[in-house]
Amino acid sequence: MARKRAPHPVKPAARPPVSSAAADSPASVWREHRREITFLVLFLVLLGGGFALISLNWVNDHVVEPFTAGIARASGVGLNLLGQQVSLQGTIIQSHRFAVNIRNGCNGVEAMLIFLAAVLAFPASWRSRLAGLTIGIVAIQLVNLVRVIALFLTGVYFPKLFDASHTVIWQSIVILFGVMLWILWANRWAMAPLSATETPVESAP
Amino acid sequence: MSRAGRPWLPRFLRNVLLWLVPAWAVWALLAPGYNRFLLASGQNLLRLTEYPSATLLVPQGPHDARISRLDLGKTLEKGFRVTDLHFHLVLLLALFLAVPDVPWRERLGHLGWALLLTIFFDIFLVFSTVKSIYATQLGAWSLANYGPFARNAYGLLHHLLDLPGKLSLPLVLWAAFYLPLLLTPTPRAGIRSIS
Repeated sequence: MARKRAPHPVKPAARPPVSSAAADSPASVWREHRREITFLVLFLVLLGGGFALISLNWVNDHVVEPFTAGIARASGVGLNLLGQQVSLQGTIIQSHRFAVNIRNGCNGVEAMLIFLAAVLAFPASWRSRLAGLTIGIVAIQLVNLVRVIALFLTGVYFPKLFDASHTVIWQSIVILFGVMLWILWANRWAMAPLSATETPVESAP
Repeated sequence: MSRAGRPWLPRFLRNVLLWLVPAWAVWALLAPGYNRFLLASGQNLLRLTEYPSATLLVPQGPHDARISRLDLGKTLEKGFRVTDLHFHLVLLLALFLAVPDVPWRERLGHLGWALLLTIFFDIFLVFSTVKSIYATQLGAWSLANYGPFARNAYGLLHHLLDLPGKLSLPLVLWAAFYLPLLLTPTPRAGIRSIS
């Protein structure tokens, strides 16, 4: 991928010797881990801000709920294609055998916000961030769609497995997918690749 | 780049998938014992905020808990599923064990620190879960004992810890230890770094 932006500077291979007291000082820790600390603080601030925002009633009623109803409609289409003959009522998907209500935590918004915060906090160009967000959010929602359909089918055919699938298995899968997608983006697309004349100063351990 | 000159990312992604099943098996095996530890620790933490001590967190089977208050003289009709609070441990184990080219001693050291922080987080999550139930779900009792600010604060605290905190914790901890791997630019295909 051709890029005009120069790669982010990497840590120097050799550092001047410093005394142990100076090495442990906050200023030294900051110099040593500036990018890690900046990423973590930015990530937590963005994540906290995002979740505080969606906890507001107005945002929940006017943004999250309609979005969740859209997910229910898309899942309903998928389930009808699979011959389940479901009907929809807002965020509720029901058939004569089973019904689910898609609530916060099951609409993929959490995974999207975590991905969004991680992409925005990572040092990258805005173009690369925008591309990552677009592809990532679509991919997360596709996985979440599979999750809702699979959960409904689990409820119909394996009701005893529904609770474990709902909270532990699928939530883990969606979050892990988001995390791996972010790592893939950060490693492959966010950082400018080195050209033939460049060699990483510090290789990964 | 790895010592062998192969990029670490594909191996990392493969390793995560391979570690998921053993990580899940270990977590599932240890979950009932960990639940009891969390309930005991959470109860102690809750009692630090009470005078006289009143909260009793009673295990209900291997995965659930019921909340009881000694001052009310009865078991509340409230409980929660403790196992749901810490399934992020599966992701944490898989992510930390999957990083290639890091010596096992170092990898386990990082995992140990991450687990320690996660345990503290989980105890605090039990605390926030029970406090939010006290503040927002007990009707007249909540209104009599918690003001508007406390009700909102405990509700928001639990909202932030239960979903974003719990779900993003493995990523945050992984990034804290391994972010430099991502901050090193990837060499173009076919070009090997000197390491």
